[in-house]
Amino acid sequence: MIVVEDVHKRYQTEHGVGKWVLKGISFTIPPRLSVGLVGRNGAGKSTLLRLIGGVDTPNRGRIERHCRVSWPMGFGGGLQGSLTGRQNAKFVSRIHGHEADIPDRLAYVADFSELGDAFDQPIKTYSSGMRSRLQFALSLAFDFDVYISDEVTAAGDASFKAKAAAAFKNMADRAGLIMVSHGEGTLKQFCSAGIWLHDGRADWFDDINDALRAYKESIAVC
Amino acid sequence: MDNIRSSASITLSVWNAIFLREAVSRVSGGRAAWVWLLVEPVAHLTILMVVLSTVRHGITLGIDFALFLAVGILGYTLFRSTALRSMAAISANRALFAYRQVKPVDVVLVRAFLEGVIQLFVGLIMFAGMLLAGFDVVPYDPLTVMLVYGLFWLFGTGIGLMLSVGSTLIPELGKVANICFIPLYFVSGVMFPPVLLPPEVLDWLLLNPIMQGVELARSSFSPSYTTVTGLDVGYVAAFAFASFFFGLALHVRFARRLLMQ
Repeated sequence: MIVVEDVHKRYQTEHGVGKWVLKGISFTIPPRLSVGLVGRNGAGKSTLLRLIGGVDTPNRGRIERHCRVSWPMGFGGGLQGSLTGRQNAKFVSRIHGHEADIPDRLAYVADFSELGDAFDQPIKTYSSGMRSRLQFALSLAFDFDVYISDEVTAAGDASFKAKAAAAFKNMADRAGLIMVSHGEGTLKQFCSAGIWLHDGRADWFDDINDALRAYKESIAVC
Repeated sequence: MDNIRSSASITLSVWNAIFLREAVSRVSGGRAAWVWLLVEPVAHLTILMVVLSTVRHGITLGIDFALFLAVGILGYTLFRSTALRSMAAISANRALFAYRQVKPVDVVLVRAFLEGVIQLFVGLIMFAGMLLAGFDVVPYDPLTVMLVYGLFWLFGTGIGLMLSVGSTLIPELGKVANICFIPLYFVSGVMFPPVLLPPEVLDWLLLNPIMQGVELARSSFSPSYTTVTGLDVGYVAAFAFASFFFGLALHVRFARRLLMQ
């Protein structure tokens, strides 16, 4: 369960304190529920994911994680370009305390990501699809209760998407997912509930379709 | 599992992971990267020896000239590269902060430690090479040598901790710090014996803990070395510990600001 209580967030910019990105957001995500975040660009979706993932801290309010939460999988984050996929996978295994069974984790990541020889090439030579496959496989290699995905699950080719979806369906009885995506199909495929972020506030919808509808109506009005 | 790991065990596994990662990219980054780690101080020593041998007439130091230079170069380099490498640690490892287990202070401390290990090996290899070449490099007081070099490392780490916070919050500070290390080199007595300086200049130079440390290390290598008076290990240690704890305090104070993008 993740409790988000009255969370405020703003960033320091070069010209002093920035505008409030999140203005008092409160919701509770029950265990094993998959939630999609929708909202316009700059509405604070990635910010909220970073806060839930514990990468950043809110200026006001608090976030409680009563479960194991993954790091926010996003473009570029958490991978070092000069090292190979294998070396990056080893690093992630180590910080998550799996020093002892690194070979098992590596075998899983290599198998799931289907990178082949590229697994031993530096990350900077990867295409964006390959990067997100690696990130996705990396996070699945560890038993989290909630996986956080910032646009990354949706990447990859059609067959990988199907595989990723199947992997999540298998875990649906033990793990939840919080994801940001601009692909409507992806959100409907992965998520059951939805959060619509707008004007620094968050609206909770028990059905992702309602969240998408509210979001689309707001665009139509503008 | 993650939810029952203690904070200490998380920190230890993070340090372990970052250390291995930094070591791999440091030693295997580019063609024969580890050779250059050694070439730099050796070239530094050779150039200074060639240049200074031509202008050094009739000065007796009480210590072999090559050893005199090597002790100074290694000590100063240990301090400088620890400070500068760990200063850059936060910006170089920004991608890692995606994992909430990794904190800015971790990457700075691990980099400083790795730099200490590298400089230790560079120093040992250099002294071993000099020994094979016939120089008398066995220290007369090894404990003081180790203490002084340990303090150089700690001082470098402390400055690195402080500058890593400073240069992240105020980027210009990093550039200024880089420039400041050039005059520091000249007032640290690396390439000249400070005892030759006039006393009014010396009084000022004695305020520099690096110069004091370099002189202390030289006199513990060779008891016949004529050093300046007024050297104090405690003075060097005070700077090292004060900067280290002040640097840690800055990391605690600005922990949140450092993570912001």
